[in-house]
Formats: sequence, structure tokens, C-alpha cells
Amino acid sequence: MKLLSPSNPTGAFSRSWRLRPPARGARTREHRYRPAFPAARGAGTGGRGEAPGPPAPPLPQAPPLAPGRRSRGGAPGPAAMFLRSGCRRLPLPLAPRPGHRRAGSEVGAAAAPRYEVVVIGGGHAGTEAAAAAARGGACTLLLTHRIGTIGEMSCNPSFGGIGKGHLMREVDALDGLCGRVCDRSGVHYKVLNRCKGPAVWGLRAQIDRGLYKENMQKEILNTPLLTVREASVEDLLLTEPEPGRPGKCQVTGVVLGDGSAVRAGSVILTTGTFLRGVIHIGLETHPAGRLGDQPAIGLAHTLERLGFAVGRLKTGTPPRLAKDTIDFSGLEERAADNPPVPFSFLSEAVWIKPEDQLSCYLTRTNLKAQQIIRDNLHLNNHVRETTRGPRYCPSLESKVLRFPDREHQVWLEPEGLDSNVIYPQGMSMTLPPELQEQVIKSVPGLEKAKMLQPGYGVQYDFLDPRQLTTSLESRLVQRLFFAGQINGTTGYEEAAAQGVIAGINACRRAQGKPPFTVSRTEGYVGVLIDDLTALGTSEPYRMFTSRVEFRMALRPDNADARLTHRGFEEAGCVSQQRYEQAVKMRAALEDGIATLKSLQFSIPRWSQLLPGVPISSNRRSPVSAFDVLQYQDVNMEILAKAIPEPLGKLAQWRELAERLKIEAAYEWCVVSQQQEMEEVRRDEALQLPDDLDYFAIDASLSAEVREKLDANRPQTIGAVSRIPGVTPAAIVNLLRFVKTNHRKTEKLKAVPQSGEYFPGKMYSGKATSQRQVSAEFSEEETKFVKTPL
Amino acid sequence: MALSGAVRAARGRCARALRSAVPPAAGTGATRGTGDTRGTGATRGTGDTRGTGDTIFALSSAPGRCGVAVIRASGPGSGAALRSLTGTPEPPPRVMALRRIQDPQTTETLDRGLVVWFPGPRSFTGEDCAELHVHGGPAVVSGVLRALGRLPGLRPAEPGEFTRRAFAHGKLDLTAAEGLRDLIGAETEAQRRQALRQMEGDLGRLYQRWSHSLTQALAHLEAYIDFSEDDNVEEEVLTQVRVTVQALLQELRGHLRDGRRGELLRGGVRAVIAGPPNVGKSSLLNLLCRRPAAIVSPTAGTTRDVLEVALDIGGYPLVLSDTAGLRQATDPVEREGVARARARLCQADLVLAVLDATSVPPTPVALEAALAVLEPPPGTPCVLVLNKADLLGGHGGSLSATSAQGPPATLLSCGGSPSATGAQGQGPPATLLSCKTGEGLEALLELLTQQLAQLCGDPLLGSPSLTQSRHSRHLGACAAALERFGDLGDSGDLAVAAEQLRVARRELGRITGHVGAEDVLDIIFRDFCVGK
Repeated sequence: MKLLSPSNPTGAFSRSWRLRPPARGARTREHRYRPAFPAARGAGTGGRGEAPGPPAPPLPQAPPLAPGRRSRGGAPGPAAMFLRSGCRRLPLPLAPRPGHRRAGSEVGAAAAPRYEVVVIGGGHAGTEAAAAAARGGACTLLLTHRIGTIGEMSCNPSFGGIGKGHLMREVDALDGLCGRVCDRSGVHYKVLNRCKGPAVWGLRAQIDRGLYKENMQKEILNTPLLTVREASVEDLLLTEPEPGRPGKCQVTGVVLGDGSAVRAGSVILTTGTFLRGVIHIGLETHPAGRLGDQPAIGLAHTLERLGFAVGRLKTGTPPRLAKDTIDFSGLEERAADNPPVPFSFLSEAVWIKPEDQLSCYLTRTNLKAQQIIRDNLHLNNHVRETTRGPRYCPSLESKVLRFPDREHQVWLEPEGLDSNVIYPQGMSMTLPPELQEQVIKSVPGLEKAKMLQPGYGVQYDFLDPRQLTTSLESRLVQRLFFAGQINGTTGYEEAAAQGVIAGINACRRAQGKPPFTVSRTEGYVGVLIDDLTALGTSEPYRMFTSRVEFRMALRPDNADARLTHRGFEEAGCVSQQRYEQAVKMRAALEDGIATLKSLQFSIPRWSQLLPGVPISSNRRSPVSAFDVLQYQDVNMEILAKAIPEPLGKLAQWRELAERLKIEAAYEWCVVSQQQEMEEVRRDEALQLPDDLDYFAIDASLSAEVREKLDANRPQTIGAVSRIPGVTPAAIVNLLRFVKTNHRKTEKLKAVPQSGEYFPGKMYSGKATSQRQVSAEFSEEETKFVKTPL
Repeated sequence: MALSGAVRAARGRCARALRSAVPPAAGTGATRGTGDTRGTGATRGTGDTRGTGDTIFALSSAPGRCGVAVIRASGPGSGAALRSLTGTPEPPPRVMALRRIQDPQTTETLDRGLVVWFPGPRSFTGEDCAELHVHGGPAVVSGVLRALGRLPGLRPAEPGEFTRRAFAHGKLDLTAAEGLRDLIGAETEAQRRQALRQMEGDLGRLYQRWSHSLTQALAHLEAYIDFSEDDNVEEEVLTQVRVTVQALLQELRGHLRDGRRGELLRGGVRAVIAGPPNVGKSSLLNLLCRRPAAIVSPTAGTTRDVLEVALDIGGYPLVLSDTAGLRQATDPVEREGVARARARLCQADLVLAVLDATSVPPTPVALEAALAVLEPPPGTPCVLVLNKADLLGGHGGSLSATSAQGPPATLLSCGGSPSATGAQGQGPPATLLSCKTGEGLEALLELLTQQLAQLCGDPLLGSPSLTQSRHSRHLGACAAALERFGDLGDSGDLAVAAEQLRVARRELGRITGHVGAEDVLDIIFRDFCVGK
């Protein structure tokens, strides 16, 4: 495969597509789902790419900029923010003034197209974000380098796993795409941890790359309100911030590679590893986000100018092997589940016949591989630089260096039904290609394996996620959201989960609605986002069940009960059909539990009914059927046989029967965690002002604690308490300060102060500052009045 | 059908139960802003203003000996607690009332003090609150705290908890008053660490060791859950975890049986005066209780029975027993007296070994030999009292020197535990005394006070009784969780088993400091080759 280097960082890409012939088949360069909407008012429908979808719903209007103060990308500090010189581009059309919305048609083709939500990037975060925003009712534009790469699985050919499967269930519960698409694209479905308890079951599947991409594109291109367009994004349109919120400016749109602008109510950045991505193979480096795709450099500059704290992370991918050159005969086979368990709550079954599923195979590296790696460390920049890399072992090199003289597992995973490609999981390498081949050939079963593509490492920029709120909106730039790998995570599922939340919130932000967040007590996605935004990360963040305090309550089986109702009622991102299904299931569960609890017999009677089950005699009699269901050997089928009326009905509905069993098994655990969950929720409800200057406030806090608070910028007292090194004393002092300070602001309301309260003193010396600051104060005050206490 | 009626009846109740089993949909996220979060809990009390969840209590005046100590309780059970401790209804709100304060279990009077009743929301925390103003001796304070701790639904406050509740109910401004600093001081992490330091280094190190081994066990189990199927986490890990947990549980149980300090403070330290006949044991008792409680005579073997006197020494309760002189007795009555003396000696928390200063050669070896004859129970702290100092002639100086230096290190065998070591260093502390003239009494009292402080925890440092009752409560809960882990066996749900270890870890963390998910991941990635 040829490696592309960025031929022209200033947007050659979006120019080049115009020269190409129209796309083949249904994949147009710009694709917009055209439902039977009332005829679009608004701008003309003809122009390629310039046509907004259905009539643009009202956009929250930013205060117009005075002439000459045109925003060209911001920079830290007010002076740099309004750059007048050094612009690389032509002046852009001004933001329409409030009340001029309906003039859209008059402006016509001259005006930039306008969407409520613009999503940059078509990866796992971008697709989920765009679809979620559109489901929420926002007129959405998805911008991607190539429509053909939407839904690309750029690394492993699998979805789910332990912890990750939980995330997928939650994405699905919010009506996200990846679960559904996986149910139509998998070639090997397997629930991991089957014997370890339903709370930690890991739904996982090997996915056919081609099918996944195809099905994902089908979903995306057929989503109402969602327009897809091929273009690179070079810059952001910025304007003065909305008062009363944190942020030095707000985003109002994006500038494309060809210099044209698209206006947006909110923007979601999901550029993955493309921000200044560099690929490492041996000593060679190529700027690229993914093998064959150019990195995004213009955007990286913009974000840097805006003052975003950026970090650098490394990841890698193994070489790919030709299936027909591998000798599987001596290897351990792992067969798929029969029947396969679908990811989606909507799927009755997966698309593939159980017997048609492909197997995975297990082999192991030996000392020969270790020798090759050790002998050639000098040829391995990526690994040599990993002196303070992640704690886990991202590559075979780090495995043999940190855990020497032992075998290391390599799973040979199929990449698709008709694919001749095998993905050797566990063999991520960055050695020069010829040495990679040597390592491969040293592994049993791979002696004659042909390497189709070398493994490589990727180093890329990520944004410190502590700059985000829990709705994934940036604190620095209003209306700008981030999701996926750009926030320092790794994995498709982590990206998809953030995508859904960012999509929902970008939509709500554009529509002027309050944010929709998921608490740590409600879902893995809540834990993921809370960890990221409160603590940041120094290595690619991956979901583990061990990160989740309330693992007993946040299970794959009940993700719908946890999130679908809220998703429909609060976020409006869930279809009527899914909602009704969840309502039906919840009612059935409540009914079932009530029925089971009402069936009470003495212990001797139970022994008669269920002769094989030893009911503990130190229980208080009578014992309910729900209590009996907790026993390991009891399930609904057994109960229904003993008591056909009324349990027969319940046992027939297989999914319900399984869920009742799980509810019974975990009931005591969940009940005993209830108070703790309550405490976490209470702490999460105690909000801190966004703009606290922790170095300036007059509270008894150590310098160390101040630094930590300033770096993490916790949103709630709950988040504060999870920052390592912040003592209970500091929490109490902080609470006291905030509370007393609130009293002061009340008094101050009549006498606006200068901006001593705000970091950077952005407003000092400005004519508008007084009013804005006082607005900030009063907003803050209102916020505290509303804070539930 | 009769069944369906029952089903319908149960339905409403269980529907609620289910909803509480899954996190409630409403009242979270964005919508939180408008709601009263107190209303979302399953554990909600009957009225909003009474408060929710547990009722907490703590000593809220400055710790240490003082004239008046204030003990505060907050939460829905405060009223009931006040009623059961006073045996009378709550006094009118916000009016001080003099009450007899009793242990609700034994109805034993603990103190007479002032009580105040603050029904919520007009209270310090915004919840129902009660305050008990009692005499500031450690025995009284400890007794009241223990009595509160035994009431259902009451538990000692966690660091910062009062203030957190006050904040949660919008009451924090009230705490800006002077008392806040002390309150925070008493409740904070720093204080907790200090308390840990104050404990003998051994105990602190012990807790830390437990903390490490439990965290490691948890991390390995978590690794087995999160990684075993894709990576090389073998099943042997589980066996090792079980072994570790079992060993830890044994240690915890043993520790909980021994950790009697709180008990000592409440019931009094049982001190036994022991020694050869006619060295002045009964005189010592009389001297300490300032009355002729025991018959004294120049005849050896006057004391036959065990005589008990309750004393307050330096604010600590002491139950002092005078016993028969230890010797090979021929008289059957005296033999019984010696047997009783030996029995009492075995149960002693503190031994006052009395020797005749004139009959013991002033050398460490001789002192050691004389003490060994008494066969004090191993591991029990001991104070050596060399009586009849008034009879010492010229060689009194050298004996003083001996006692000042402390007996030889070999005497440690008599008091092996570190708490037995006195301020003087290696061996049991010794002091010269004349029961006849009273000379040396002050030194003895000081020595006794030091010993009692060691045994009961020093009330001048931190808040020992509270710290310790918190410790034993958390250690108990930790042990219970480890026990449940063991009960689950091999076939059970590993997620549930891990949950027990998490509970145990959390409880221990209340003493040794919180251990977060990242610490667990550190161990996982250190010990296992897992990754992409």
C-alpha cells in the first residue's frame, strides 16, 4: 500500500474531488437524505454542497461582530483573538443579525449554507454524533475526507469485548448505530466472561470490515435531516462568546479546504488520530492519520491558536496476513457462540446463520520473536521513544521487553466472510517491514504466512479532555464539541459512546436546550466521560469494568432500562419504536418481579416444589419465588415447571426470563449500593462555577490542590472528590468558599465588578465588559439558586 | 384466583423496587437543576426536613480533656437517639435542658449534662440534630459515643460529613462561626492521617500492609475479569486471590478480638497489684484511693481475697485490684488467695508489680529475677513499683539510678507488646515509692497516666475514642465482606465476588485512604502482560 503524504495542507483535498468524475453508484460526493418534507423554503436546493437540508430551524444567533473585527480563528487572549493581519483567507460573510433569519432566501447562494450541527469526521465517533444529532431533530452536516471511508474499521476487525460491550449496549439504548450495524455485519459472535456473571459479560463479535462499512454508510446516508459532504476542514469560524457561559469565543461554522464556509449552530470535532498524525514504521515516519489518509494540519493549528492544551499519544496496529498462507491445523480454535447474542436491543437475532460463522485461532510467540525484537531495537523509533508510554502493553515489542522469556498470545482473527486477510491481534509492531516478516515467520502456524501490510505505529495529537464539560462541549470555545480518539480514548466503542453524547448535546445546544449528561451511576458512558473530563488521561483511555463503581447495577442486560427512557423523554434521540419496546420490557419486568415476589411458600414447600435445590434453612420463612430465583441452579424455566401458573407465561418470553433471573441474582447487591449511588448523585449535583480561578480564590487550599483543581477544572463536587490528592478538607473548604462567594455575588449584583474573577482577565478595559461581567455574575447566582441542595 | 389478587397487591411495591434497582430516570443530568435531590433517594426519610440516610454523630468540641464536651448527632434518627439516651422526650426545640444521660442498653448513668434538640431544618446541618453537652473526661465522652454507636441507624461521622450535610442543605453559612475550624480539623483527612501516626507505628504499618494486600487481591481479580479471555491471565490468579483473602480475614478477625482499647476506656483498665507478700501492695491501694480500703498489717499474708477499687487517674477509669502476696502458701485459705491473685493477674490489662526496695539488690539482673518470680502474664504492660523507699539507706542512690535508666532490655519479655514500653524506653518503667511517706507518688501517678494513655489512646491527641470506634467499625465491615467473599466459593458469580472485595477495600480505605480505579489498574498492568 502506498503511503500518502499531505500534498497540500491548505486544502488540496477538497479541490481535488471537484476535478474527479461524479461518484459511482449511490455514493454521491454529497449525499442528503430527502424525506417527504414540506418543500424547503430557505436557500436554493440546486447548488452542490450549498444546499441546506430541510428548512433550517432557527439558529441561536451570536451577537454580530463589528466591521473589522471579523473573527479569523481565535487565539488565546483578546488581542490575538481578533486577528486582522495574517489572514490566509478572504473575508467571510458576516454572521446574519438576529431577526434576519428569514432573509436566508434573499441572501441566496451567496450566503454560506447553515446547519444546526456540523460534524467533522466520519469515523465511529463522527457517524454516531451526526446520526444522534439528526435523530434529535437537528439539521446536520457530516463532513468527511471521503464518503467511501465512512464506517471504516481502521484497526481491529472486531467490536465489543469486556467493558466495551457494555458501552455498545448503552450506545444502542440511546438508539445509536454501531450495535445495529454489527448485528448485520458480524462473522463470529461471542459473549466473553460467560462464566463470570452477567454484570461482566462482554458482548463481542468479529466483524466483516466491508459489510460494516457498507451497512454503516447505508444507515448514515439514509438518516433523515443528515447531509453528508466530502471536504476537508481547515478552520473554524469564530465570534464573540455568549455572555454568561465559559469560553473566550464561540464557533459559528467551519471553513472548508476550498475556502468556502459552512455556518453551524454547533460543531463537533471527531478527527481521531488525524490531528498531526504521524505513522511510524521502523525508522521511517510519514505524516498520515491512517495508512493512506492524510492528516489534518490546518485544524491542529487552529486549535493550538485557540489555546487548547494538546497532548501526544501513541497507538499501533499489527501487520495483516494472507489467510491462505497460514497453517491453522496445529492451532487452538475458538468457535463462535451458537446461538449468537445480538448487540442491539432491537435485534431478535443476528444476520448470519450460526453455523456459517468463522472461527478465531490462537497461537503464541516464542523466544525467537523476542530475540529479533531485542536485536533490532535500534531500528524502532516508535518503541524506543516509549520510555514513559502507557502502563499496558500496546505492542509486541513492549510485551517482550516488559514480560520477557515467555510466550505471548496472538489471536488470528478473520477480517471478513470473503476476505483473505487475517488480523493477528497481539502482534502490533513498528519494526521495519522485513523484520516484521521475520517475527511473523517465527510464530507457529505462520511459518509461511505472507504479510499483506506491515504493522505501524501512529502518534497523534489529542486534546486534554479536561477542557470539556460532561456534555463534551469545550470550555474554551462555546458550541464546539469533541468526541472520540481526539479526546484521548482508544477503541471504536469508546469513540461511538462519546459520539452519541456529543451528538445529542450539540443538537440540544443548537436548539437552546439544556445539556443531557449521563451520570457515573447511570452508565459506562457516564464513567468514561466523567473520568476523561475530570481526570484527563496520559495514555489512550480504554474502558474496563474495573473503572466502574456500580458495576452490579450497570449491566449490559439493563442498558435500555437505564438509558432508553431518558434518551426518548429528555434527549429526544430515541425512536418511538425503541421507546415503546423499552417501556414494554420495563413493565413486563416490574410485573414479573411483582409476581415472583408475591409467590411465597415455606421452605419445606419449596423443597417439595424444587427437590434438587437446597434452599438455605436460615432464611426466614416464607420465601418468595424471587428469592429462590437468586439461587445459582434456579432459572425461570425450572420455576415455571414447578409453578406453571402464573410463571409459565413469564418463562416463555425468553429474554424476559433471562432478565428476571439477572435481576434476582443482583438484587441485594444493587440495593446495598443504593445509598452510595445516592451520595455520588448528590455530589454530582453540587455544581461548581465554571470560571473559578483556583489560584486566586481566598480559600484554605494548598498550592498542590489548587494546581490540581485548576488543571482538572471539575464541574461538580463529585468530580472534585475523584481527583487524586484532593483531601476532604480541601473539598470542604472549597464548598465553603463557593457558598460564601455566592452570597457575595448576590450583593455584588448591583455593582458590577471588573473581571478579577475570570482567568485571563479577558474583559478588562472593554466597553462591553461591565455588562457582560455582571451578566456572568447574575447568571452564576441564578445557577446557585437552582442548584439542588 | 387468589394469586392474582396478591400479585396485584404486590405489584405497586415491587414496581417501585425495580425502579430503584435501576438508576432513576428522572432527577439526574440536566433536569437536576430544578428538583430537590433529597427527594430522589430510595432511602428517603418520612419528612424532608428530618434528613436522609444514616444518622451520624461525632464529638464536635475540641478533642482532649476539657470542662464540657459537645457531642452532636445529625440525621433522621437524632430525635430517637436523644430520647433513648435521656429516657425522656426531646426537650422543646432549641432550649437547653439538664438530663441524666444513660446507656440505653444497661440504663447505667453515663453523666448528667445539658441536651439541646434542633428539629430540622432550623439546625446546623439542616437535618434533625441533637447536641449533648457532657463533662469532658475521656471516659464520659467515650461512653456516650459508644452508646450512640450502638443505636440502630447511627454511625460515627466520616471526615467532613457534618459540613457536607450542612452544605447540602444550604446551611454552610452558619458554620462560618468559630467552631468550624475545630470541626473540620477533627474531621479531615490530615487529622485521620495524624491519628494513624499516633497509633503505634506497628498498627499503622499493619493497616497499610492489609491495604496493600487487599488492593493487590482486588486488582488481580479485576484483571481476571477484564482480561483473562483475551490475554494471559491464568486461572491460578483466582486461587492466589482466595489464599490472600483468607489469610487477611484471619488477621483481621484476630485483630478485632484484640482491639480492646475502646472497651478499656469504657469499662476501665483492669490493673492488678501483684508482688511478694508484705511488700506494701495493700498500702499502695490505700494510698491510691486515699482511704483505708484494705486492711494493712506488718504480717505477711494479710490479704487473702481480691479487693477491687474503681479510680480515676488522669481522667482515665482504672479498676485497681489488690491481691494476695504471691508465694508458695501452706495455709489452704492463703493458697486459695494466691490462686485468685494468679487468676486476676492473668486477666489484667496492667500489672503494678510491687517489690520491696530494701530486699532487692539494685542491679538490673536482680530486678529481673525478682520480677520473673511473679510470673506476670506475657504481653501485659507492667509498672514496677519499688516500695519502702523511705527505708533505703545509702544505696538508695544507686537504685534510683537503676530505675531512672530503666531495667535491662531483657525485661521486655514481661511486656512484649509495644504498648507496654513506657516513656523511658526499653523495659517496663519502674519507680521508687514510699507508701509510708507518700514520696514518689506523683511520679507513680504520672507513670500510670502514661500507661493508661497508651492503653486507652491519648485523649490529648486527636479524638481516640471516635477514631477507634470508627476503625473497628470499618475493620468489622471489611472482615464481613471478606467473609462473604469466601462464602461465595469457586462456582459463584465473579462479579459479585469482586464486589465483596470492593466493599472490603472501601471500608479499609476509610482508615488507610482511598484507593481508586487507577491504583487498581496500576497493579493490573504491572503484574500482567495485557494490552492491545
